[in-house]
Amino acid sequence: MLAVQSLWDILFLLALVIAVAPFFGAYLGRVYLDRPAFGDVLLNPMESAVYRLLGTSPRRSMRAKEYMFAVLLVNAAVFAFLYLFFFFQNALPLDATLAPGMRWDLAFHSAASFTTNTDFTHFTNETQLSLGSLIIAWPLALFVSAATGLSVAAATIRGFVRKDGTLGNFYVDLVRTITRVLLPISLLAALLLVLLGVPETFKNYVVAYPITGGTQPIFLGPVASFQSISWLGTNGGGFYSANAASPLANPSAGSDLLGAFLMLLIPFSTPFAFGQIVRRRPEAWPLMGTILVVFAVAMGLFVAYQAAVNPALVGLPGLAPQTSGYPVGQETRFSLPEASLFQVASVYSNTGANNMQIGAISPVGQLVLLFGMFTQSTPGGDGTGFGMLLLFAVLGIFVGGLMVGRSPEYLGKKITTGHIRWAALALLAHPALILVPFVVAVAGGFASTTSGSVPTSAHTFTSILYEFTSEAANNGSALSSGSFNDTTPFFNVAGGVIMLVGRFVPIWAMLAVGGMFSEEEILPPGPGTLRTASATFTVYLTLFLIIISVLLFLPVIALGPLAQIVGGP
Amino acid sequence: MAAGSAAGPSRAHSMVGHLRAALVFLALMLLLTGVAYPGVVTGIAEVVDPGAAGGSLLYYNGTLVGSSLIAQNLSRPYLFWERPSLSDYSFLNGTPAPPGPSDPALRALINETVQYMQKYGNYTITAPLSLWLVSPSGSALDPDLVPEAVLVQIPRVAAATNLTVGFLTDFVNNHIAHPELPFVGVAYVNVLELDLALLPLIGR
Repeated sequence: MLAVQSLWDILFLLALVIAVAPFFGAYLGRVYLDRPAFGDVLLNPMESAVYRLLGTSPRRSMRAKEYMFAVLLVNAAVFAFLYLFFFFQNALPLDATLAPGMRWDLAFHSAASFTTNTDFTHFTNETQLSLGSLIIAWPLALFVSAATGLSVAAATIRGFVRKDGTLGNFYVDLVRTITRVLLPISLLAALLLVLLGVPETFKNYVVAYPITGGTQPIFLGPVASFQSISWLGTNGGGFYSANAASPLANPSAGSDLLGAFLMLLIPFSTPFAFGQIVRRRPEAWPLMGTILVVFAVAMGLFVAYQAAVNPALVGLPGLAPQTSGYPVGQETRFSLPEASLFQVASVYSNTGANNMQIGAISPVGQLVLLFGMFTQSTPGGDGTGFGMLLLFAVLGIFVGGLMVGRSPEYLGKKITTGHIRWAALALLAHPALILVPFVVAVAGGFASTTSGSVPTSAHTFTSILYEFTSEAANNGSALSSGSFNDTTPFFNVAGGVIMLVGRFVPIWAMLAVGGMFSEEEILPPGPGTLRTASATFTVYLTLFLIIISVLLFLPVIALGPLAQIVGGP
Repeated sequence: MAAGSAAGPSRAHSMVGHLRAALVFLALMLLLTGVAYPGVVTGIAEVVDPGAAGGSLLYYNGTLVGSSLIAQNLSRPYLFWERPSLSDYSFLNGTPAPPGPSDPALRALINETVQYMQKYGNYTITAPLSLWLVSPSGSALDPDLVPEAVLVQIPRVAAATNLTVGFLTDFVNNHIAHPELPFVGVAYVNVLELDLALLPLIGR
């Protein structure tokens, strides 16, 4: 039975992040409006120097196509750099773990994974990643991928208030995101993590002599600075293969709560940045309300099922009755609600860090996590999660307008079939990227298990479904290890392609929709205008998002998680 | 992309201009995130909290015996044991996943661990074991246990040493780490630190 007192700290933390979000969101808005903001005296001259080095200027605002081209170019450069670094890691500096160079398909999967803010890993950090790959190459992607997502969201939002067809300068947005958001907060958070027990050193390992004999190499490194940007940037990569379950990466309840705060901070604040940029603050609340309702229901279900007894272990001789939660795959130092908050915050923000073995939890818990990746937008990853929610809203307003006979417009911008085509493309790409590879993997015999080439258990179905969903949503949490082998060329190549398409097609759609809005005049509200800053619209948008997501995925969840819930193996 | 020939503040970047921006940005970021950022954090961390920054290492008689954050194999009758580890307490074996919740292999694994712990050589534990004591953790390196999972091991430790059950009960109770703030965290015992405190008492 779960004690009510044990919920207090997570309720306090959620209240704190929701209370901070409007203020931090307003700050984010000022950053992207290029308005005077905290830190200008120090940062303005530095940023100007960087713009000169890049050969650009804030006055050179880009149209949607040019912005998209710049996004693709910068990310292609990061991808190429990572691919080459991983492929040749044994020949590059800081090869302390003596890891061999990655095979081409693993290097492809890893480079795609880090570039797209997914951070899904098909390798064991401690044995397959050189120190240089871990502390030089990967952190670069942790910063750039998060900054790309936020810049794209800012550009898309600007479309609502501009009439000249431009969305801003991608390079300027990238630089300002890093200097004013990601770098200062992750620096501060890294120091807090050290105070909470996380290592931060340039020594890469020490050899200990355990008291019962033998040796135990203990891997160390700049763990705190890695984890803080990994969580703040909703990346989710772990310094250790145990990710956020590792006692070195996440040593206490305090670091666990700080991690949850960092993962939710930017995604929860972005709706308020939206309100600030479009100069209509009440417009933030329907979007924030949708996020909060879905998140709260998910949290409640997850905690309740984490506290439930596993019937499969009841009555085992010599075992005391299960009282304090379900320990299999869990860490001792977190209370059940603390572990759950981190895990739900991580998957719902598309961070994908795990502080538990999610393959070991109840099937209902697994379904809750899957649902967060189906919506991708409650709240979703830094920037892109909010972008998806805006596309849901645009589609919802269009459909709702048809139903009640209102003219489909959002914030004075007319929604046309052009907008709908792009929004539908982004929303339909997601199930296509999950279901098509799922069928190919299962029917093609690529997901071979110990029991044969075609999986027969519901748990294996869930694992394969989870793998592709996590990649398509750029989430990165994994449930698969053990039930099938995902380190084959098939899963590396398919996974890499899914992550790249699942990242850049929705980004393209967001920028295209923002670009079309930016071409339009702003209409004054008329009698036929659907009021979007209202409770009615909040309820409508929430239901619209849930119904669309359930309809798209119901058949496939019946094969895996639902079959497990009703008692399949 | 159209060449940047049009005059005015909003002219597009040329292809070369884009390439230059992307590559210079990559180079600057490499210096910033690969060198400056971890360098600054490490520099400050090693001054502010050298113990934590160095990995919370533990020494016994001058020998580095481990980290208080990392479990090790303590399966001796005279010691308190850690949770079982699917990676055999080694970073080099990655983080293997436990069986799924309804997988028959899970019941078999837990049953095997219970049998092993209850009857270890000549030492027996008759009380039922907490699931925490016999189940694999999330990291396979969890160094902590809930108090009841440590207390239940006292009959074995008492039988293997000359210490009494009463003394060991007080000893364990004194090593329970309670949450620093009310309602944050749980009460637990760091088993490696507990055993390091036990060693001098049993003359090892």
